[in-house]
Amino acid sequence: MADDAPLVEIRDLAVSYGPVQALSGVSGVFHQGPTGLLGPNGAGKTTLLKTLLGFLSPERGSMVAFGFDPTRQPLEVRRRLGYMPEQDCHIPGMTASAFVAFAGELSGLPRDEAISRAHEVLYYVGLGEARYRNVETYSTGMKQRVKLAQALVHDPDLLLLDEPTNGLDPQGREEMLALVHDIATRRGMSLILCSHLLKDVERVCTDVIVLNQGQVARAGPIRELTGARRQVFDVRFKGDSAAVLTDLKDKGAEWREDEDGVRLFLPEGQGPETIFQVAKECGVQVRYLKPGAETLEDVFLQALGH
Amino acid sequence: MPIYDQGYRRYVARSPLQRARFWPITREPLRMLLLKRLFLALLLSSLAPLVVSALWIYIVTRYPESGRLLPIDGQLFGEMLKYQMLFGILLSVFGASGSIANDLRSGAMLVYLSRPLTKRDYLLGKLGVPLLLNLAVMLVPGLLLYLAGLGLAPEQYLRWHLAWIAPSIVAYSVAAGLAISLLTLAVSSLSRSARVAGIGLVAALVGLEMTRLILQYGFDRKEAVVVSLWADLKALGVALFAVPDPQIEISWVWPLLVLALVSVGCLLVLRARVRAVEIVT
Repeated sequence: MADDAPLVEIRDLAVSYGPVQALSGVSGVFHQGPTGLLGPNGAGKTTLLKTLLGFLSPERGSMVAFGFDPTRQPLEVRRRLGYMPEQDCHIPGMTASAFVAFAGELSGLPRDEAISRAHEVLYYVGLGEARYRNVETYSTGMKQRVKLAQALVHDPDLLLLDEPTNGLDPQGREEMLALVHDIATRRGMSLILCSHLLKDVERVCTDVIVLNQGQVARAGPIRELTGARRQVFDVRFKGDSAAVLTDLKDKGAEWREDEDGVRLFLPEGQGPETIFQVAKECGVQVRYLKPGAETLEDVFLQALGH
Repeated sequence: MPIYDQGYRRYVARSPLQRARFWPITREPLRMLLLKRLFLALLLSSLAPLVVSALWIYIVTRYPESGRLLPIDGQLFGEMLKYQMLFGILLSVFGASGSIANDLRSGAMLVYLSRPLTKRDYLLGKLGVPLLLNLAVMLVPGLLLYLAGLGLAPEQYLRWHLAWIAPSIVAYSVAAGLAISLLTLAVSSLSRSARVAGIGLVAALVGLEMTRLILQYGFDRKEAVVVSLWADLKALGVALFAVPDPQIEISWVWPLLVLALVSVGCLLVLRARVRAVEIVT
């Protein structure tokens, strides 16, 4: 596979659970490198991963991963994937080293190699000292790490991480993100980070696909999505701010209220003078104005229609 | 040392898909079981009927008149395998009743099914555990006893009319082992608790046997044998080893049919219960 060839291509994919439509007309490409799969709960992120793993059959559309169809050739796809599920997963009674080595063997590694790599990977994720302990005695953070280790042990071409920071305290979350970032940057492994936490995706990924209600709301490189397409200002008004915002909306502006005031998005070609002019026409004071940059959160909320 | 400074070695040698992908799924639980003392004790005690039977062959060769109590032909093997089957059930409950239940509880199903394994590989691997346990306590002792018989009383066992014993041991062990194993797995897949699955399996076997006894002796229904899996297996033994049993008065065809139906039913349950995605509609 060429270096720039997409790992996964999706065309007009539709998946449903009985009467519930989970994905509808999803199209997109996962390139090599770290890609974020963003969306609120129930957006269809996990469904997309499970379709990629060949667990679900699409009722319409197609998906091609590494040149294989996950529905027809699931084994060829799965041997190239490493999956870290959202929920707890371990084998009762097994130590971490036995569990990860077993996972390696299930992925097709010879037993000796699986054992050797299990120890390496457990050291890598920071469980070297605890690798002979039963996984059931692990804390939540350690269980997350062992889940990552079992997904990494066979050195997959693409790592699927489903909410990897779930249930972690701030320090644990920071360490997990550092680890995922390291996997993506220094080890050069492609990954799909599925999360509803924008900061996690922003920290690790270069590309993002935003899902909402089973459809792709936005997709592309984060740098482009958050680039200088719109002028962003954090503003506080004194007076009838609703009138100002209504007039600004007529000029093509979008806005969102937050704790400190209003976050205004002006279309290209307009600047702070537009805000001052409209405020003056409405008889409203501008008490605070600070230029900002569009963040992934802005893109995400816009995609969700907020 | 920060985590990201620690090494990680890429592994580029991807080997082709193996044929016996199910084997680690069978081997690993067996390895874990063999580390348990209670299990080992149970496994060793399952050799008791073999030792007693071999001793009986020796006694009959020394004192032929004692053969009137229990002849050392097919009957001896049938009687021994009846007890061995009991150990097979006990070992299945001990070692495999949590086989799928634990995977459902701990989320391990995803660990298996997100690998290059089919559902069939998973089920074959899981089936391997109780099946090997059953074969270890039925087929192996059965053949060992036959070898002991050949050694202790060759003039008896080298006769043509007893040549069917060895194939019968194989057929009976495989049929009983498969039926018990499939039932164990099916019951295991219906629960998320190994304990509940184990109790469920014993309750099903005992309950059906009680029902059989009530129907057979309370209502004088000899065909009630088919109701109980235990009695069906005994009936198969009666047919294969020519063991006279006053409780079993029906043709071996019916119990065999019931065993086949139970096995198919178990496979259907397993097919429905073993899946990577729980769909709630």
